[in-house]
Amino acid sequence: MDMETDESVKRVQVRFVTQLDQKFKVPPSTIALPSDLTRLGLSSVVNNLLKAVVSDWEPEPFDFLIDGELVRMSLEEFLVAKGISAEKVLEIEYIKAIVPRQHEDPFLHDDWVSAIDGSNPGFVFTGCYDGVGRIWKGAETCTHMLQGHSDALTSLCIINGKGSEDGNNISVATASKDRTLRLWQFDAEGAMKHPATVTASKVLRGHSAAVECVSSQKSGNMVCSGSWDSTINLWKASLSEADGDLASIKKRKTSGAVNESQSEGEAVSTLVGHTNCVSSVIWPLDETIYSASWDHSIRIWDAETGSATWTMFCGKVLNCIDVGGESSALVSAGGSDGTLRIWDPRRPGTLAPVYQFSSHTNWISACKWHKKSWFHLVSSSYDGKVMLWDLRTAWPLSVIDSHSDKVLCVDWWKGDSVVSGGADSKMCIASGISVK
Amino acid sequence: MELKVSKKATMATTKKKNSKKEKPENTKEIPKNTEEKKNTKKEGKDNKNLQKNKKEKKIRSSLQKIKLRDVEEEEKAPKNSKEYTEGGDSEHTSGDEVHVNAGGVSSNGTIVARAGSDANTSANDDEDNSYHSAEESDSSEDEVAPRNTVGEVPLEFYRDEEHIGYDVTGKKIKKKERKDQLERFLSSVDDKKSWRRFVDEYNDEEVELTKDEIKMIRRIMKGKTPHAEADPYAPYVDWFDWEGKGHPLSNAPEPKRRFIPSKSEAKKISKYVRAIREGRITFDKPKEKPRFYLLWGDDSSSSEKTRGLSYIPPPKAKLPGHEEAYNPSLEFIPTQEEINSYQLMYEEDRPKFIPTRYTSLRSVPAYDNFLRERFARCLDLYLCPRVRKKRLNIDPESLKTKLPEPKDLKPYPTTCYIEYKGHTDAVVTISTESSGQWIASGSTDGTVRVWEVATGRCVRVWEVGSDIRHVAWNPLPHQPILAVSVDQDVLILDTGLGSEEQQGKIRDLLRMEKPTAESGEAAIVSWLPDDKLGGLRLKHFKSVTSIEWHRRGDYLSAVIPAGESRAIMIHQLSKKGSQRIPFKLHGLPVSTAFHPSRSIFFISTKKNVRVYDLLKEKLIKRLDTNLREVSCIAVHPGGDNMIVGTREGKLCWFDMDLSSTPYKVLKAHSKDITNVAFHRSYPLFASCSEDGKAYVFHGMVYSDLNKNPLIVPLRILQEQKGKGVLDCKFHPRQPWLFTAGSDSVIKLYCH
Repeated sequence: MDMETDESVKRVQVRFVTQLDQKFKVPPSTIALPSDLTRLGLSSVVNNLLKAVVSDWEPEPFDFLIDGELVRMSLEEFLVAKGISAEKVLEIEYIKAIVPRQHEDPFLHDDWVSAIDGSNPGFVFTGCYDGVGRIWKGAETCTHMLQGHSDALTSLCIINGKGSEDGNNISVATASKDRTLRLWQFDAEGAMKHPATVTASKVLRGHSAAVECVSSQKSGNMVCSGSWDSTINLWKASLSEADGDLASIKKRKTSGAVNESQSEGEAVSTLVGHTNCVSSVIWPLDETIYSASWDHSIRIWDAETGSATWTMFCGKVLNCIDVGGESSALVSAGGSDGTLRIWDPRRPGTLAPVYQFSSHTNWISACKWHKKSWFHLVSSSYDGKVMLWDLRTAWPLSVIDSHSDKVLCVDWWKGDSVVSGGADSKMCIASGISVK
Repeated sequence: MELKVSKKATMATTKKKNSKKEKPENTKEIPKNTEEKKNTKKEGKDNKNLQKNKKEKKIRSSLQKIKLRDVEEEEKAPKNSKEYTEGGDSEHTSGDEVHVNAGGVSSNGTIVARAGSDANTSANDDEDNSYHSAEESDSSEDEVAPRNTVGEVPLEFYRDEEHIGYDVTGKKIKKKERKDQLERFLSSVDDKKSWRRFVDEYNDEEVELTKDEIKMIRRIMKGKTPHAEADPYAPYVDWFDWEGKGHPLSNAPEPKRRFIPSKSEAKKISKYVRAIREGRITFDKPKEKPRFYLLWGDDSSSSEKTRGLSYIPPPKAKLPGHEEAYNPSLEFIPTQEEINSYQLMYEEDRPKFIPTRYTSLRSVPAYDNFLRERFARCLDLYLCPRVRKKRLNIDPESLKTKLPEPKDLKPYPTTCYIEYKGHTDAVVTISTESSGQWIASGSTDGTVRVWEVATGRCVRVWEVGSDIRHVAWNPLPHQPILAVSVDQDVLILDTGLGSEEQQGKIRDLLRMEKPTAESGEAAIVSWLPDDKLGGLRLKHFKSVTSIEWHRRGDYLSAVIPAGESRAIMIHQLSKKGSQRIPFKLHGLPVSTAFHPSRSIFFISTKKNVRVYDLLKEKLIKRLDTNLREVSCIAVHPGGDNMIVGTREGKLCWFDMDLSSTPYKVLKAHSKDITNVAFHRSYPLFASCSEDGKAYVFHGMVYSDLNKNPLIVPLRILQEQKGKGVLDCKFHPRQPWLFTAGSDSVIKLYCH
């Protein structure tokens, strides 16, 4: 560490603290640091301190928090910007810096990857514009192909049901531009010869235009979907034959002359209120549905009564919505400009966003909160970038630039990886994102 | 007695109105000591006179004697009253003698003198009377009493009375008896002194002037001093003792006013103070002196010179530059080639001065152009305009019309977010589907493509052959079919984007068992099924440039510019029929439009736009652009306003309720306007041009008929330079604009 800084540089009294493991702890002494240090300088200081304790210390990047805000400029600028006195001993908390490790070989698809779900740690589930859903087991090989849709998949979700918990039976729902939703059930572990073709166990018809989004209830009993016909339909997610038998018809597939019997389902109820395409729905709680639409509104629906309890107009076309953050109450949404906005619906009287992240230069196609962290979310944009955000700083934590075209979908996987799919027909994985 | 006599004498003199000088002299004589002094003085004077008399000649000597004796008499008079009276008599004689003297008798002098000396003894009757009366009055009253008993009463009052006035006891004072005229004359003849007598009517007495009184009168008449002894030219005696007097002229102590503050000044000061406080008096701020003298500043700008005659600065001479230094840097020195090239130049283009280097200032020769330049400068000064230009000082900002700020008129398309790439040649035409999910485009590469708006994905491609002129989505949301004008054909294409039952209906609609070949229009239009593309083909006899759907999605108008009387055809999809419009056309049709809500049809020719009522089949209105060539029209969704784009880059806004001339003409583009478009719900309209720009305007039409439409230019959407924008369309639901350029890319501009 270079301590020979000339006297003209201001010095700040600093003490480093951390909530990391014992091996990351530095002696709690106060040291004077030149105030023009940036994150990199601070990180090297901490690494040197750690090296003094453990001789064979592998340097590791750290990120630094002052008063709950990430340091993204020099210390002096930060102190001036936040109005913090440089006289006192500054307490700097350090956390592990997020450096996503990008996998070398992307997973190639036949067409644009339009939907992705990483909620099951065992596999990544992608939807493609060729109408096929794919299961990528362990992010290595494609084990299952869900064939049946006649048009591009737009959205999909893994239904958190009893089946997925107790065993290998996994049920998923997909939405497509062919105006239908399909429910699938397959054994994730089962098929050894790959890729196994899976056919839909249930077809949900009811939308009169392309279905844009699908989301399952937390309990896994219901599925909701939003469509270009500006309605949200609620469907039963159970695959029991009882109601499936009712509408068993013979269907001629375009791909081949395969006759197969499929059970069909009808919408339980329809939520009417949006005036334009419903681009995204989220069903995080059993009774609350969040939806974003091209009519510039975000609505919160009561699933029981089917009425909108909260409506907010933001003036821009919205493409994605997610709920998370502090007590899973913050609503993040992105749309037809490069700004990711986060609202707090609990805050009365105001409809102004709580946070705005505007580093993207094009439409935002998807955004997802981290399941565990209150601070982290990931967003993908048509500018070909996936950005990791921390609520504590206005700059992106990290920019994953692995796609060469529009990124259409993004999700967290296994808590420390980000999976994304784009118009370059690739599914990319960036791992090593340690979010605490 | 002496006193009394003297008083009487004085009385007489006053009554004779002699000078008053005598009176104080007489009164002074009363105290004895002063009298003595005077006597001595007069004696001195007498002595002088005597000495004078001796020197005079014999002729004059008698007169002198009389004078001398007069003086003596005067001196004697106060001493003895009798003498005085006697003297009076003698005076008469002497007076006569004077008269005689005038006649030339001189020998009588002695007689007179003698008579004077004998005056003591001689007495006259008349004189005695007067003397007595005076004496009586004197005795009766000790003090001086006014003899005048009538006062100021005019004497006429007593003219006929016996008396005149009253005495103290109230008795009438009787007038004295007067001699009548004759007696008086006689007495005057007898008496030589009568000429000296006169009647004092107030005192009712006869007064006889004494000799020296006469003399006094005579002196006065001559303008001399009444008394001969008074010397007006007596030598000046300086009585003031100049030496040894240390005092100033005024030895008064310093007055108090000198050392107490003046009240009047205090009053004045308080008045000024009040005025300053009330602001009636203001002080000019001291002028700030400029710290530096503006050596090269403009003379005309100095404000001091504006007073009086306006100062017109002389034209500035060119300031010397570095090249005019005696030893300029090398880069200023022209090379020999440059100097040679100067010779080839015209005289006026040639540089006036060729820099040269000298080793020292001493070696610089005389400037050979000095005279010429001085002459040119003089000429400049002589010819410079002597009239000051009046500049209108109008703020250019104030001339602008007040328009709302574009940022207040959000949302409107601003930035390009999505590009629709796939065409290999210029995209000629685009059309948006009514729900806003799809967009169709036609390109010169011979393909028609359908794109997904949200992702930019090309959904369908049709190879229809070259020369696609126009694509148009059916306006019905449940009828996703596309009309494409390709050369001489109009294709009705099934996009297959509808739901299954919609597709079924469309298939029914587009199904044709056999080609129609109606007798009349067979040559013009024939309907054919197109199996390859899965739709209908409407063959026309000439190339179709423009197609337009009716709002109900059943009728389709096609423009065939070369078709003359059949230049505009209206096709009906449900009946698979075609018909001509029932109007006579004037000029080449360019574009057509259906009214968004009523059965009105717009046909634009190169010069004007005609508005027809389709039900009544007649012309409603003719709109004149007065511009060269109309290229495109668009009708406001309200139906009462319309924009027309022309080939000279101008945009005309017609308010059809207002007039048949443009409400506003906007000079926006530098090249042909290729298309104009209104937004269906937002107050926006746009124009695109071959100059590679698309303009977005705010065009608010108010429901209040009295309010004119508000047009505000909002944004210029710059395409690539040199690449024209061939079509622009608004997204039907969002404030977004699609532009299609000759660079084969469709762009989406979002708000």
